[in-house]
Parts: sequence; C-alpha cells; structure tokens
Amino acid sequence: MSLLHLPPPSPSRLTSLRNSFSVITLNSLRVSSQRCRFNQSRLTLTPTASLTVDSHSPTTSSGRGSTEEGDSPKVLLEVRDLTAVIAESKAQILKGVNLVIREGEIHAIMGKNGSGKSTFSKVLVGHPDYEVTGGSAIFKGENLLDMDPEERSLFGLFMSFQSPIEIPGVSNMDFLNMAYNARMRKLGRKELGPIEFYEVISRKLDVVNMKIDFLNRNVNEGFSGGERKRNEILQLAVLGADLSVLDEIDSGLDVDALQDVAKAVNGLLTPKNSVLMITHYQRLLDYIRPNYIHIMDDGRIVKTGDISIAKVLEKEGYKAISSA
Amino acid sequence: MATVTFSPPFRFSPISSFPSKFRTRTRFIIPPLSSLTPRAALSDPFVLEIAQTLEDSVSTPSPSSLPPPPLQKLRDTSSESILSMSWPTRKDEPFRFIDTSFIKQSRIHPIPIPSPSSDLAGISSDTQFPSLVIVDGHIVPSASQLSGFPDGVYVGSISGISSEAIMEKVLQLVSDFHDGDLFWSLNGIGAPDVTVIFVPAGCQVEKPLHLRFYSREGGEIGSNYMPLSSPRVLVLVEKGGEIGIIEEYSGGDADKCYWANSVIQLALEEEAKIHHSYIQAQTASAAHIKWTFVRQESSSNYELVEISAGGKLSRHNLHVQQVGPDTITELSAFHLSVSDQTQDLHSRLVLDHPRGYSRQLHKSIVAHSSGQAVFDGNIKVNRYAQQTDAGQLTKNLLLEPRATVNVKPNLQIIADDVKCSHGAAISDLEEDQIFYFQARGIDLETTRKALVFAFGSEVVERLPYNSLKKKVQSHVKALLETTSGGAP
Ligand SMILES: Nc1ncnc2c1ncn2[C@@H]1O[C@H](COP(=O)(O)OP(=O)(O)O)[C@@H](O)[C@H]1O
Ligand SMILES: [Mg+2]
Repeated sequence: MSLLHLPPPSPSRLTSLRNSFSVITLNSLRVSSQRCRFNQSRLTLTPTASLTVDSHSPTTSSGRGSTEEGDSPKVLLEVRDLTAVIAESKAQILKGVNLVIREGEIHAIMGKNGSGKSTFSKVLVGHPDYEVTGGSAIFKGENLLDMDPEERSLFGLFMSFQSPIEIPGVSNMDFLNMAYNARMRKLGRKELGPIEFYEVISRKLDVVNMKIDFLNRNVNEGFSGGERKRNEILQLAVLGADLSVLDEIDSGLDVDALQDVAKAVNGLLTPKNSVLMITHYQRLLDYIRPNYIHIMDDGRIVKTGDISIAKVLEKEGYKAISSA
Repeated sequence: MATVTFSPPFRFSPISSFPSKFRTRTRFIIPPLSSLTPRAALSDPFVLEIAQTLEDSVSTPSPSSLPPPPLQKLRDTSSESILSMSWPTRKDEPFRFIDTSFIKQSRIHPIPIPSPSSDLAGISSDTQFPSLVIVDGHIVPSASQLSGFPDGVYVGSISGISSEAIMEKVLQLVSDFHDGDLFWSLNGIGAPDVTVIFVPAGCQVEKPLHLRFYSREGGEIGSNYMPLSSPRVLVLVEKGGEIGIIEEYSGGDADKCYWANSVIQLALEEEAKIHHSYIQAQTASAAHIKWTFVRQESSSNYELVEISAGGKLSRHNLHVQQVGPDTITELSAFHLSVSDQTQDLHSRLVLDHPRGYSRQLHKSIVAHSSGQAVFDGNIKVNRYAQQTDAGQLTKNLLLEPRATVNVKPNLQIIADDVKCSHGAAISDLEEDQIFYFQARGIDLETTRKALVFAFGSEVVERLPYNSLKKKVQSHVKALLETTSGGAP
C-alpha cells in the first residue's frame, strides 16, 4: 500500500491527478503455507510420547524423563551445524549453530546487534523469511525442520517475538481463544466458547499484571512496547510450552514492567520446561538466572559458559569474548 | 505478499481540458446535458418506455388528490431531463465495469402500493431504534415505530407535512441536483412518495432513525419479470441539529429478481451533523442502484459508513457537495462480493470552500472468481478551497483467481494550499500476520478466515451502534462462510 503525499502545486495551475483504471486480476496472489525449506531426512527417532497434561497448563508435553531414572536430564533441543539463508536474497545469516538444551535449563544467548540471534529464534519456529540450508534441529526427539510452524507450536515450542506485529480487526481475546482451542483440539480436549474461555483467561491476566480491557483491544494495535511484551508472555501463560524462546523480552521495558515479565516467566518455570532468552542486557539475567550463557557472533555460537561470561561482557565488551 | 501499488501518473493539464461540467446552467429551460450521454441528442426509446411506465404508475386517478408541489416539481424536472438520456452501455465511462443489460432485457414493472391487508410478516422487527418501514418504495405506517422523537422533528410522507416553512424548504431542495444520471431521473419520475426527515435548528435527536427498506415483490429468475421500486428520502437538518440515520436494504425470497432504484438526499445546514449508516443486504439476484446526494453548509459534519454485500449488481453513486467552509466529511465503505456479483461505488466530493476536512476509506473483498468490486472516487478541490485537508485510500483483497477489482482513486486539485493524499492497494493477506497466527498453533484455514473478516472490520467497527455492528458482523461472517473461506 502506498500513500501518495502530494506536494502543493504551484499557484494558479491545475493539477489533475488521475490514474487510469487499473484492473488487477488475481492469479497467484496466494500465500502458501510453506516455502520450500531444506528438508532433513527423517530421523528414525520416534517419540515415546505418552501425553501427560496437567489441568492448568495445556502444554503438549510428552512424558519425558519419567522412564529414565536420570543422571542428567533429557535433551529437549539439539541443534547441530544449523545454517540458514534469507529466503529472498539467499544471503547467509546462520553459519553453523550448535546448541543443546536439556529439560529444566535456562539458557541465554547474547551478542551484538545483527549477529543472528533473532534469525536463529525465527528459524527455530519456522519463519518463512528464512530457508534452512544445512544442519539439524531435533526437538523432543523429533525433527523440528520437518514441521509446519503451527505444528511446532502445538508440539510445545513457543517464541515471543522481538517485535510482535499488530493484527487490526482481531481482538486479543479472539486471538487467544483461537490459539487455545487449537491446542485443545491437538490434545483431544474440549474447545472453549468465548464465555468459558473468558474464565480461563481472566485468571491468567494477573500473571502479567494486565487489566481486563486489554482483551478487547485488537492484537497489539496501538500497544506500547511494554504492552506488546506482556502480551507475548500472556500468550505463553495461556498456551504453555516445553521450550520458550524469548527474543529480547526485556528491551523497551521499564524496571516495573521488567519485573512483571520476569516474575511471570519465573512463575511458568518447572523442572521440565526450559527457557532460551535472547538479550543484550545483563539486567534481565539478574531476574532470570541462566544456567548457561552463549555468545553469538556472525551466525555462530562462539562461546558458551556460565553466568561469569556476562560479567566479563559487561566489563570488557564483546571483543574480549570473541577473541578469547 | 503480493501488493500492487498504484502510482498515478501526475498529469498536469490546462483548465480547458475539463469537461463542460463547470458551465452555468439555466434550470429547466434547457434540459441539462447528461454527462453520461454526450452523444445522445435523440431520445432513447427504451428509456422513454420505462419513463412512461413509471409516470403511469404514479399518476393519480382523481384530480382531487394532486401531489404536493415539491413532488410535482420533482416529477416534472425529472421527466424533462430524461429526454436527453439513453440507457448506459459499457462505452459510457461511469458504466464501464458494470453490466446493466439484464435490467434492460427485462419487463420492468413498477410496484404498486401494497394493499393494507397484505402480509408483512416477513419483515423482521429486530431493531431497538425508532424505525420507518418502506416496502417496495411505499411507507408502511403500521410496521413503523416512530415514537420518542423530540418536538419539531418530522418523519414521514411528504404528503403529511403541515408546516408551510418545511414544505417551502423541501421544495427548494427536492430537485436541487444537476449531476445526476439516468437512474437519478428515473427515480424522480417513479418515486411514489418522498419520505421527509426534518430536524429543526438546534435539535439533537438522541436515537438514530432506522429506515428499513424492504423489497418484497420479486420475479422468478429467468421469468424476465422485473419489479421496480423507487424509494426516495430527503433528510433536512437545520442549523446545529443532529441525527443518526440507518439506511438498510434487504429483500425477501432469496431467489427472486427485483430492481431497487433508490435516492436519498441529505441537506446539512450550518453546524448540522449527520451520522449515516448504509447497509445494503439485498438478495443475491437483485439489482440495487442508489444515489446519495449530500449538501453540506459551513461547519457541518457528515459521516457515512457503508457496508454493501448484497445484490447481483449494486451501484452506489455518492455525491457530496460542500457549500460552505470548515466542513467535515468522513466516508467509509466496505464492499463484499462473495458470488457472481458486482459492488460498485462511484463517489464524488466537491470542495469549493476553505478549510474542508475529508477522509475517505474504501475497502473491498472479492471472494468469487467472477465477482467484482469497482471504486471510482473523485475528490475535487476547487480554487477557493484553500487549506483543504483531504485523504483517500482504497484497499482491496482478492481471494480467488480471476476475482477482479477496478479502482480509480483520483484527486483534482485547483487550489494551491492544500494537503491531500491518496493511495490504492490490491493485496492478499499479510504474510507476517499469517505467521503470527501459525506461530501460536492456529491452522491456516482458521487464520485466513480470521484475517479476511478482520479486513472488513476496520470499516464495520465504525458503525456507531453496537447492536447494528453485531448484526452486520454476523451477516458478513455468514457470507464469508459460504465461500471457500479463502481456504488454500
Ligand atoms: N528478513 C530479513 N531480511 C533481510 N535481512 C535480514 C532479515 N532478517 C535478518 N536480516 C539480517 O540478518 C542479520 C541478522 O539479523 P538478526 O537475526 O535480526 O540479528 P540480531 O537479532 O542478533 O540483532 C542482520 O544483518 C539483518 O539485517
Ligand atoms: Mg534481534
């Protein structure tokens, strides 16, 4: 869509702006659900999924861990040599990412602007702007890269967007209801009408400290930066997830909002589910303590360590780290 | 996402290249030359035949019941103007994209006044507002509910006006528009009555008036029999007065064929305010042609929200004339074509005075391979209309291969100190929005349905009454359900 802003024409001259009729006939203006993606040959791993669901959180979690008396917890996500390009320009952004996340762990990825953090999280959830060109991503024993975005979501992977977009004309309430029902359908449970759903949702609003009229507004339309982030976390609270990827959930938040969001995320943590935070700032790590910190640079994870990395970072910047 | 963006060629042309619309006219002496038939000097036999049929249908049997003077004047001037007009063809620019031949090929039969005993059960009464029911162009007082208006407000037949002052004003306004086309004139000949809504100075009418136009007569499809109704309404709001008008059209039997040729005139005096909701929900085989002529005096405020989803052929001619400075005009329209149907809006906003503010939004969804939407939106900012702020935008969503939209947003600016913008977009749904739904586990079909519905919501949400909004929303939803839902 374009808006033409017309310069004021010079005095006493007639400006006739007249475009001829344009006939547009739709031939192939359709959105395909999937772009061509790099297809990983299917792995022989089959999930030993017995659905165990607690009555509050509708996460589609498999009964992982229950069969193994574990030394170390089960691997939840295993990414090997993942490479990806921008679908349109074929410019390579991810240049071989390796990452293993186990159940119950909190990880953080830090790195300079433009190092590929958001790209990595969007590739994990199957964003059509990117094409995977190599490597693998196994989530709960299944090949993530074989799944449609909505399957990934229903399988327990959640990503909060760095910049959640507006959906004019769709109320927050309706959107959450649709997402919730999609999950219920997947679990073979009863879908809820607007009134029953209202019950469910009104309880969750406290989690992110939001007022009820938040639900009547259109999704993210006219929301402040902070409201958008809270809205992402509200969605997470309603849908649940085995792995939540939180892309800069802290940016643009004042301290109060940051505390609210951090509290909400901490409240959702269990020994089974995991969080992957992406952040620039040390301060989020004060509220949500990660077990591991990874530094991303130019499409790769170049260093992994514990919280002490963040300290070095703060003192000496990314240079010190990537050259180490 | 595929977006086609229109960058109109900026053509600078001398004033003289304008058509002859600017010359002065001598009223009634020379029949005005219709803009649509520059070539027609001779009368069109078909047009004369309809005109004759219409004239016969309204002629009074006894001279004792002569029509009130304004109605007589309307009929006379309309009859006169029709002499130079011919039935439009696709060669006439304003009718390039619509096919009126199926009307021409039918036997046109003006619908007489319904007998008082006739069954009006089909007309639902689900409105919470004062309402006036107009069946096939005739007011049905027994089905109307008009209590609760403040003193001095008049709603009803032109024949019922007792105030000479009001009658005089009506006389002035009733044929005060010279840019009408054949259909404007045919309505003027065939209108059995003029429904007059009068709001006196300073009177703010709290509840909106719901005008419920109902088409009951219909011909069997293929029978060649086309009943015609010619409802006509005149709304006059005096200085500082205020009213909401809901103009709603619906029909009875879904598979009947009829033609509604309607006119509404709205005159806003200084500081008057009208919120006009126009809902066109005619049945799928109907022809619906309507004129809306708005005359805005200084500091008046006119807002129109149109939702057109019915009819096989729907044409809305909207003409807004500014006759004083500081006017506010807000026009929004949502058109929906879910079958083999055409939704056409031809609008013209003429700004002749300083500091006018106008916004126009047109949106259409075409969800059928032989469906069509047409928008020709002209905004004319004349020499004295300095500091005008005018914006125009059309957005169109095509959901089927071969679905068609023809849009022509256009601005003509003569004044030099103005702020104007316009734009047009034809698109599919936004890919980023689709992904947001998918990322939350929502399947593609549900997503598309929600987004298609949301596209129209931007306009529907502007309807000022919740009950009406809900009703329209569920109607739109139901219509979209009948299509493949835009499913992949
Ligand atoms: N959809 C896209 N189109 C074009 N360039 C992109 C797109 N997504 C990412 N990029 C580019 O890829 C690089 C990595 O971006 P991003 O993943 O957003 O980095 P980070 O989140 O670490 O700041 C940047 O140079 C960015 O401009
Ligand atoms: Mg980023």
